[in-house]
Amino acid sequence: MRPQATYTTRRGTTMSTSWSRNQNTVRHKSKSLGTISNTMIVGMLVLIVGLIYVAQGTQATNYDYELSAIDDEIAELEARKEDLAVEKARLTSIAATENSEVANNMETASNSGFVTE
Amino acid sequence: MSRNKFLKFGVLAVMAVIVARLFFIQIVQHDYWVERAAAQQMMQYTLRAERGEIYMMDGDEPVAVVMNATVYTVIVDPMLTDPEEAKEKLTPILGEKRTAEWDDVFANRALRYYIVGKNVERKAAEQIAEAEVDGVWLQASTKRVYPEGDLAATLLGFVNADGVGQYGVEGALNGKLTGKDGILKTVKDVNNVALSIGDENVKVPAEDGDDVVLTVDRNLQHGVEKILTEQAEKLGYENISALVMNPNNGEILAMANVPGYDPADFGNVRSAADYVNHVVEDPYEPASVCKTFAFAAGMEYGVMTAESTFVNENVTYVDNWPIKNSTQRTDLLGTVNMQTALNWSLNTGSTQVLRWLGGSETDINAQGRERLYDYYHDRFGLGQATGIELFEATGIVYEPNASIYGIDSTYANMTFGQNMQVTMLQVAAAFASVINGGEFYTPTIVKGVLKDGEVVDTTPRKVVRRTVTQETSAAMREMLYNTRRAQRTNGVDKAGYHIGGKTGTAQVIKNGEYSFDETVATYIGFGGTEGELPQYLIMTRVWEDGKTAGGEAQALLVFNALNAYVQDYLKVKPAGV
Repeated sequence: MRPQATYTTRRGTTMSTSWSRNQNTVRHKSKSLGTISNTMIVGMLVLIVGLIYVAQGTQATNYDYELSAIDDEIAELEARKEDLAVEKARLTSIAATENSEVANNMETASNSGFVTE
Repeated sequence: MSRNKFLKFGVLAVMAVIVARLFFIQIVQHDYWVERAAAQQMMQYTLRAERGEIYMMDGDEPVAVVMNATVYTVIVDPMLTDPEEAKEKLTPILGEKRTAEWDDVFANRALRYYIVGKNVERKAAEQIAEAEVDGVWLQASTKRVYPEGDLAATLLGFVNADGVGQYGVEGALNGKLTGKDGILKTVKDVNNVALSIGDENVKVPAEDGDDVVLTVDRNLQHGVEKILTEQAEKLGYENISALVMNPNNGEILAMANVPGYDPADFGNVRSAADYVNHVVEDPYEPASVCKTFAFAAGMEYGVMTAESTFVNENVTYVDNWPIKNSTQRTDLLGTVNMQTALNWSLNTGSTQVLRWLGGSETDINAQGRERLYDYYHDRFGLGQATGIELFEATGIVYEPNASIYGIDSTYANMTFGQNMQVTMLQVAAAFASVINGGEFYTPTIVKGVLKDGEVVDTTPRKVVRRTVTQETSAAMREMLYNTRRAQRTNGVDKAGYHIGGKTGTAQVIKNGEYSFDETVATYIGFGGTEGELPQYLIMTRVWEDGKTAGGEAQALLVFNALNAYVQDYLKVKPAGV
């Protein structure tokens, strides 16, 4: 058992202790960030993740805009294709062919028969 | 109470109100607000399936006869639009497509929406857009267009304002042509652009309708309609219908009715009767063309041949009811054979066949009726829908023991095609089987579906049943050939071809009685190279309310005109070439 010691402090108070006087009483404490720092770091991390998410979202939206523009273009081209097909069908219709200038300038065919070889 | 405590209670009270309100919004009204949010953030479109187009054949190539086109509705905002500018710039562009008077459009400037043009085509729409008139915008939609005009209108039908097919192919094959709409449900941004973010996005693509290819040949159809129109004018009859068919597989090559109508302007008709395809939807009494079926039944039961004889008195009595011949020529009185009976369309002859079917020379009995019904209804399919891919009427063929007044005289009448209701198509399908060797094909109007430029999904043509033996078929062909030659057709048919046919003139029931003042004329015949099976079948029908028409006087002439054209178009060669 450690011997009891009695000593008088500089303020004149008598103290008793089980330690020896002048003994080093260093207390080792690990260094850590404070609450504010932690909060800020977490906040920053959240912000970064958020920015990444927003960036990705924006990029996806950009693609969506491109897709939308391409879809519109396809629809437009398909409509034009349909119009051209209709126009072609009208031009090649029997009525149009019969009334064409070429047809009007043709001579009436005479009766013809089959040829035997 | 100290100020601190007062403040605390105040803050608590405010917090309590906020919490209560949040509870109300988030818990009690949860569904409502979720719905509101979705309505703002989500968009839902119906992806419209495009209606299938309709094609006819042009030789071996399918050509579109019913198509889709984008058209535009032109809308004006009277509050924003300058009346003078609109009048000046839009009037010449819209032309006949303008649907409103400008004074009416601008009569109330508080209006924000006024339709000034409909069915405006792309070129005009582009000109309108280039004109840059404030407050004018265009709304796109789709409509049916008919590059061949009114060709085959009663066969094709039309699509009404709700996009539903009516009459003809459009009506009967509406489900096949319509396709299936899809859905697009997605998150959107402020510009209404669909965004791929979100986990509730749904996209079910639309399934477009099938492009249907008909067996009908475009050129043949046009030629037939042209001839019918000419004949209607020449003969002076309001209505003519005709059918051209391949008797060896049931394919319809042309089906026409005069008058027709313009399907692009389908509201502009004299009456709803103009929409009717009389070949399939209008049962009637085809008259003596049915002698073909009665005689074929007689041959099948072995009770007659072309040389069988009976005593013709130009009238015979059944149920004390006189059945007279349409011709009362005295040189036909006495013993005549069945070829003569067919040549002169003697009703007494066909009635005699019914007696023979019953095993009697003098009486009509149940056995005779049952045998005739067996052939008419069960084998030839008269009085039943044929199964063609169109709306069709069934008609009436009385059962042999039907509880009706005068069943024997009814059956006697049926031997010459009266007292029964059938469609032209039923008669044509039955007639085809009589002349093609005895094979009954379901008539068809659909060749297949067009995919990537190829006609696919073609249904193989199958023989449904045998109606008569090949021997009976050959004998009937010969009888019909002789009958045609006996009629006033000298010089009409070219040498080397085998053309046969039969006339029919039916009285029409008016006020419950057969009228002598109104008759319907029919002719059905076949053609082909001599010595070979027939290559085509043509049936014609001529009629007009309150007017008499004759099988020989009118329907035969229409047949002759069509026959010459069809023979050339199908390149049917004469024998020896």
